[in-house]
Amino acid sequence: MLLVVTYSQAARQTLRNVCNGHDETVVQRFGRAALLEATELGAFLALRLRAKHAGDVQVERTAAFNEFEEAPDAVRDAASAYEDREHSSTPYAKFAVGTDHPTPDAMRGTDLSGDADRRG
Amino acid sequence: MRVTVAEENRTGRVVDLREFETPADLDVSAVVGAIRAAESARPFVIDCPEPGPAHEHVGVIRAGMELSLRPALAAAARTRGRSAPQDEDLAAVRDRLDALDPPEIDLRAARRRVAETSDAADEMRERVAALRGRVQALREADGDSEAAESDLAEATRELSEVETERIAAEQALARARERATESRERRRERLRLEDRAANLRREVREYLAGAVREAFEEARESVPASAGESVSAALAVARVADLDAPVVVASGVVGSVTAASDADSFGSVEELSAWLDAGVVTV
Repeated sequence: MLLVVTYSQAARQTLRNVCNGHDETVVQRFGRAALLEATELGAFLALRLRAKHAGDVQVERTAAFNEFEEAPDAVRDAASAYEDREHSSTPYAKFAVGTDHPTPDAMRGTDLSGDADRRG
Repeated sequence: MRVTVAEENRTGRVVDLREFETPADLDVSAVVGAIRAAESARPFVIDCPEPGPAHEHVGVIRAGMELSLRPALAAAARTRGRSAPQDEDLAAVRDRLDALDPPEIDLRAARRRVAETSDAADEMRERVAALRGRVQALREADGDSEAAESDLAEATRELSEVETERIAAEQALARARERATESRERRRERLRLEDRAANLRREVREYLAGAVREAFEEARESVPASAGESVSAALAVARVADLDAPVVVASGVVGSVTAASDADSFGSVEELSAWLDAGVVTV
């Protein structure tokens, strides 16, 4: 899908107008951003916005996330283990201490493999 | 004020443009233009003090006029020296907005270069594969593969060149994207401040309008009912405000608020002017 994010009042208003006029192409609206379908019409609408508001419009292409392809086992396991923790108040950083689970810092510093970071 | 039409002058608190000997073809907007313009063009000149901020709301009063009451009342309150508790916050937000100057973002050229170099690399890779196949086939058939091998070497060298270009283009785009991220942070901050300023302006208007609301309601009650809703409101705002410059009142409105038949009538334009505490130009 195409993620369109606006950065000015005028661009946000144009995005609203575009969304109002193209319900079928809009997958989801969030305030100053919207997800458009990855069709030529979606691209046309996004490019129209960018042509009008230049740097105040950011367009990114999103991809479906397959954790089995893109996230390592350790990260998936850590997420499910943390969800099953005994005390809901335990923060993850503390939870990970003394286990094989990766620390937040370690995860922060490691990019995902594959096309997960595909942006343009 | 002093009004000049052609060579004819009239002075006073109340001037009726219809009484001039050579009544120029003057509509309401031309008259108000002459009041607001710093220098107005002959043959039509109105010499009067500069209009204050409320004048743009109620400087012209005519039947069926549109009036945004809250902004008009807020402007009127300002002319009375009122201020709002949010004024300082609003000024601070405006200062911060002025100081924010997000750098231009234009990644278009960088994106195009990535697409082009990537296409070129793909093409060259296919050519290298095809040549490699040809060399292989010639060798297996014990044919003369010398020319094909030299083509392959040349294509391989070119592939390495376009690959290098592609990588350079991708790195340039990545760097440009990083700079864009910084600029977007500032743009996001600007949008947040603009929204905050808009909210503060609304609060200021509400506060200021509230400060003169009672005086306004009182004034409105003393306008003859025949004036109609928007005219009554505009006249009441004009009374509450300190206008400095004269108000342009359409003759139809003057007629309806000075009619002798109405018990609440102002009776005369002079009375209306006194009630408004402002000069009146009748068109």
